[in-house]
Amino acid sequence: MNILGIGIVFNRGRGINCFENALQEGWQGPAEVEVPYLKNKKSFVYQVDSQTISDKTLLRKMRRSDKLSKMAVLSASDALKSSGIENLSPSPNPSSRHIGREGEKIGVIVATAFGAHVKTFDFLDDILDYGEDSVSPTTFSNSVHNAAASYVSSTLDIHGPTLTVTQFYFSFQYAMQLARAWLNEKRCDYILVGAVEQYGDVLGYVYDCKLTPAPDGRIKPFNFNPTFQVPGEGAVFFLMGRENSENSFCEVENIMIGEYREFKTGVDLNIIDTDGMLPDESVYMQSISPDIHTAAYSPLFGSMMTGSAFNCAAGALMLKNQKYYANPVLDNPHGINILIGNNPPISKGGMGGFSEQTKRSDIELIRCIRYSCHSEKAAIYLRKNH
Amino acid sequence: MQKTEAQQLAQIRKDLKEMLVRDLSLEDIKPEDIKDNEILFGNGLGLDSLDAVEIVVLLQRNYGLEVKDMEKGKEIFYSIDTLARYIQENRKNVS
Repeated sequence: MNILGIGIVFNRGRGINCFENALQEGWQGPAEVEVPYLKNKKSFVYQVDSQTISDKTLLRKMRRSDKLSKMAVLSASDALKSSGIENLSPSPNPSSRHIGREGEKIGVIVATAFGAHVKTFDFLDDILDYGEDSVSPTTFSNSVHNAAASYVSSTLDIHGPTLTVTQFYFSFQYAMQLARAWLNEKRCDYILVGAVEQYGDVLGYVYDCKLTPAPDGRIKPFNFNPTFQVPGEGAVFFLMGRENSENSFCEVENIMIGEYREFKTGVDLNIIDTDGMLPDESVYMQSISPDIHTAAYSPLFGSMMTGSAFNCAAGALMLKNQKYYANPVLDNPHGINILIGNNPPISKGGMGGFSEQTKRSDIELIRCIRYSCHSEKAAIYLRKNH
Repeated sequence: MQKTEAQQLAQIRKDLKEMLVRDLSLEDIKPEDIKDNEILFGNGLGLDSLDAVEIVVLLQRNYGLEVKDMEKGKEIFYSIDTLARYIQENRKNVS
């Protein structure tokens, strides 16, 4: 299974080029937003602004949709465009059918941990404020978990199977596994697999109660304990296909969840999902090797249960461009082998390291690692296309 | 000072236009762009059946009015002016 295109919406803008710029430019402070539950106090959030999700052409038929669905549709559309595959790019004319008959060959899988929770709480507030007879039907329709996936398929004229996968820690990994199964079964020729999360006051409150907000707005991914989180929001979509193409990013070689035999040989880089969403992230130390560089890009987009998708996008970009992107935050109290520059020196080699024959610039295999609070592990292996 | 009926009607029209633009997420339309006699559905402002349900809810929330007879609803929902007159004649309490 190959990544043929990537679309992304995050706090620093829209599009894979924008994400690449963020990887090159490094860390920037998150926005400070007022929160209703903390009087005279602000909270750091990596928030997507309204300008980023204003697309008059694509969203013309989506005036009722919420922010979550808009982020999903824009990034899914950009993933199709980024693939450069003829007949798959959405038409600039919103009145015409976007993809036409090709739409029947595309499936949609949306991964999300909290889904449309903002609209769900709006809906509950409406019941409390006005009674169940006076609840807005639009709020209700946007509050259902499959709304974003439905908007993606209807706006982009996709007629393949459409599904939302929700699993607290590994939504994205399970969505990727499902995509692989659909492609192997030939249910679809292409799958748009994406992750989307939205920030809201209720979620912010829960984060503040259960986790430790970063006092300076910086997630420190290599601290492990204590951890610091800064809520993020956004969407990443990947266009997946069986065969690689001219513009393809990389191959998804394997997706492992739970108990499995470790597969370390030849890994050039570990990308870890540490972002303060676990109170103690020391468990990640089990997967880190002194022979393999480690990176974590959560300080660029924020803490999210589906942050794996953003880290995978970073890994896919590195494999396509054959270029390392330095860690955005370099605090390293445990002295682990973190990626500092864009051209790291060759390691000693051996199990899990760079082989002696590997050229300095070759990046062959990247492993994206995530742990749950129960120390359950998931890994996505990305390999360079040949 | 007590408002005249004409002033009250003008105020309801203004409130309705703001409410429709805000609560129906009418992008690229300002409240002042909506004419008092402009047809709200179909070829006019372009509202659809889901907007009609939304307006029923908005009338209930903001003016305590229930529109259950949809045949009558067609006349009431014809324009801002017909909506405003219906509200002025029937409202129980204004929020």
